[in-house]
Amino acid sequence: MITAERKPLSEIKAMIAPYRKILVVGCGTCVAECASGGEKEVGLLSSALRMDAKMEGREIETKEITLDRQCVYEFIEQLSGLVNQYDVILSLGCGAGVQAVAEVFPEAYVVPALNTTFIGETKEAGLWVENCRGCGDCKLGYFAAICPITRCAKGLFNGPCGGSKDGKCEVNPDTPCAWQLIITRLDESGRLNLLQAIHPPADWSKREGKGPRKIEREDQKT
Amino acid sequence: MLEKELGPRIRFFPLPCSGRIEPLHLLSALESGADMVYLVTCPEGVCRYQEGNVRARKRLMYAQKLIEEIGLERERIELVVTTDKDLLTIDGLTRGLILREAIVDPSPVRVKKHKGKYMDSYKGVRK
Amino acid sequence: MKAKSRLERVLRSGHFAVTAECGPPKGAGPEMIRKKGHILKGFVDSVNVTDNQTGIVRLCSLASCALLKKEGLDPVLQMVTRDRNRIALQSDVLGASALGIRNILCLSGDHQSFGNQKEAKGVFDLDSIQLLQVVRGMRDQGKILGGEELSEPPELFIGAVANPFADPFVYRVIRLEKKVNAGAEFIQTQCIYNLKRFKEWMKMVRDSGLDKKVYILGGITPLKSTRMAEYMSKQVAGMDVPEEVINRLKGVPTKEQRQEGLKIAIETIQTLKEIEGVHGVHIMAIEWEEAVPELVEKTWLYPRPEV
Repeated sequence: MITAERKPLSEIKAMIAPYRKILVVGCGTCVAECASGGEKEVGLLSSALRMDAKMEGREIETKEITLDRQCVYEFIEQLSGLVNQYDVILSLGCGAGVQAVAEVFPEAYVVPALNTTFIGETKEAGLWVENCRGCGDCKLGYFAAICPITRCAKGLFNGPCGGSKDGKCEVNPDTPCAWQLIITRLDESGRLNLLQAIHPPADWSKREGKGPRKIEREDQKT
Repeated sequence: MLEKELGPRIRFFPLPCSGRIEPLHLLSALESGADMVYLVTCPEGVCRYQEGNVRARKRLMYAQKLIEEIGLERERIELVVTTDKDLLTIDGLTRGLILREAIVDPSPVRVKKHKGKYMDSYKGVRK
Repeated sequence: MKAKSRLERVLRSGHFAVTAECGPPKGAGPEMIRKKGHILKGFVDSVNVTDNQTGIVRLCSLASCALLKKEGLDPVLQMVTRDRNRIALQSDVLGASALGIRNILCLSGDHQSFGNQKEAKGVFDLDSIQLLQVVRGMRDQGKILGGEELSEPPELFIGAVANPFADPFVYRVIRLEKKVNAGAEFIQTQCIYNLKRFKEWMKMVRDSGLDKKVYILGGITPLKSTRMAEYMSKQVAGMDVPEEVINRLKGVPTKEQRQEGLKIAIETIQTLKEIEGVHGVHIMAIEWEEAVPELVEKTWLYPRPEV
C-alpha cells in the first residue's frame, strides 16, 4: 500500500487557521491500513482540533466523512453536496487522494493532513516497511524478489558494497543489507548462479519519465 | 447506582476488556468535558484475553501523545492497574479516586484556564 | 600507442608495485595537493586521489589528479558513482584521459548520509561494476554506453576495490570475479590488519585463478594511536581490526604509539610481499603522507624500479 503519516498538528493548524468550517475527509484504503488516514484517524484528528479550538476560545465546526478510496472520482463525488458548505477540505488521503479531490472540486481549498511516504508492506501489526520505488521496470525476478533499488541504500544492481557487515547496511545498522538477503535467498534455493552475470545499468527514463507518468488503456475507457 | 449517588461528577463506560479501548473514546471523554479520564485495567498477566491490558496501555499512551499536542496535560488520562490483592469493588476504587483527585484543575477544554479548586469536578471512569 | 601509466608498466614488468593515496583539501587552493605530491614523489609508483570521500566536499579528484600530473606524478583518478550520472561519468573519463591521467579506480562510493551534505541526492545511476564495464568499453571499443562511437578513445589502466573483510565472506571472491569480468585490471584492497583473514581470502582468490587475471595490491593504513584503531574497528564499516593489533598499541605509551603503528604496517607490508598473488601495496596514510617514505624505505621497496 501507499503509506503516510499524519503531519504534526501545528502544521495542520497553520493551514486551517483562518477557517471555521472544516470538512475532514478520510480514505478507507491504504491510509486506513497504515492507521494514518482512515475513519478512526479522522475521528481522532477532528476531536483534537475541536478541543484545541475550544481551549483557544475559537469555535470550529467539523464534519467527518471517510471515502472508500480518495483517488477515484466516483467515490470523491459523494462529497458533492457537502463541499460548498465548508471553508476547507482537510484531506487525510495520500498525495494522490488530496490532488484527486482538488481535481473534482477545483473551487474548494483542499489541504493535506498527511505526509505521503512510501509504497510498502505491513510487516507486522504496527510496522510498515518500504519495498517498492515504482521504477517502472520491475527486476524482482533477478533478485530473489528483493528490490535492490528500494532496499539497498545505494541501489546497486551488482552488490553488495564494501560496507555490508554482519548482514547489516552501513548506512543504517537497523536495516538488513539487501544484498546479503538476496545472496542468502538465492544461495538457499540453489540459484546463486543468477548473480554471475553483470546486471546492466537501469533505464531510469521509465521512472523519471518526461514529467509525471501516465497509463492509458483504450479497452478500459467508456 | 454509583452514578446515581455521585451524580454528574462521574460517568462510567464499561468494556469487556480494557484492550477494547480506542484512543478516540479517551479523547471524546475529554472533549465532553471530563477533567480526568481513568482507564482501569487488570494486572499484567491475568488478562483473560491474554494481552488486552498491554494493548490498553499502548493505546492510552498514544492518546496521551495526541492530547499533549494540543496542550492538554498527559496526566488527564490515567491508567489504573488493579492488583489482585485489591479486594476492591468498583465502588471502593471510584470513591478512592474521587478523594484523591478532589483537587484537580478543571480541563481547559471545559473552561478557559483558571486557578482554584472545584469540588464538583467532572470525571469519566472507564474500565 | 599512448604512453602507458607508470603503474601499469611496473606491474606488467613483474615488479612489486607501491601506490599511495592522498586526500584533497576542503578548499580551492592547489598548494596542498602539490605539497603532498612532492612528499610522495619517487617513493611510490602512483598516487590515488580520493573522490569526495565519505561524502565530504573536497577539491575534486579530477582537478587534483591534473595538478599531480603537472608535478610529474602518475595519478590514479578515483571515481565514485554516488555524485554523477552516466553522462557526467563518461564525460569525466574523457576529460581525465585528455589531461594525461592514465589510471582510474571505479567505486560506488560512501553513502551521502555520512558526509557534510546529508541532504544531497545520491545519484547511483550506475554501480561500480557497471562503471568498470562502461570505462572498459570506452577504452577498448571506443564506444560510450548505448554504442555511439567516440572520436578518440580514452587511454586508462582500470582498477577497482575489493574488501576481503566485508560480508558476506563467501561471496567476496564471486564479486571480485565479476569486477574482473567487467574490466578491472588492478585491485586495491581495503586496509589490512587481519592478516589471517586476508590470507584466507587470497587462497580463495588463487583457487579461482583470479590472481592470474588481475593485479592485487594489498591496502595498508598505518595506525597512529589506540583511539584511531578503536575508531576504525567500531565506527568504520567493512573494517577488521583484531584485538591483538589494538593491544599492541595499548601496550606502549601514547608517545610511542605512532612508531608502533608504523612497525605494524612495516611488518604487514613485509608479509604481503611474500603472499603469492599479491602484486603490490597500496598505502592509505591519509593526513599522514609523511609516513609513506619511511614505510617504503624500511620495507626495502626504495628506490622504485626504472620502467
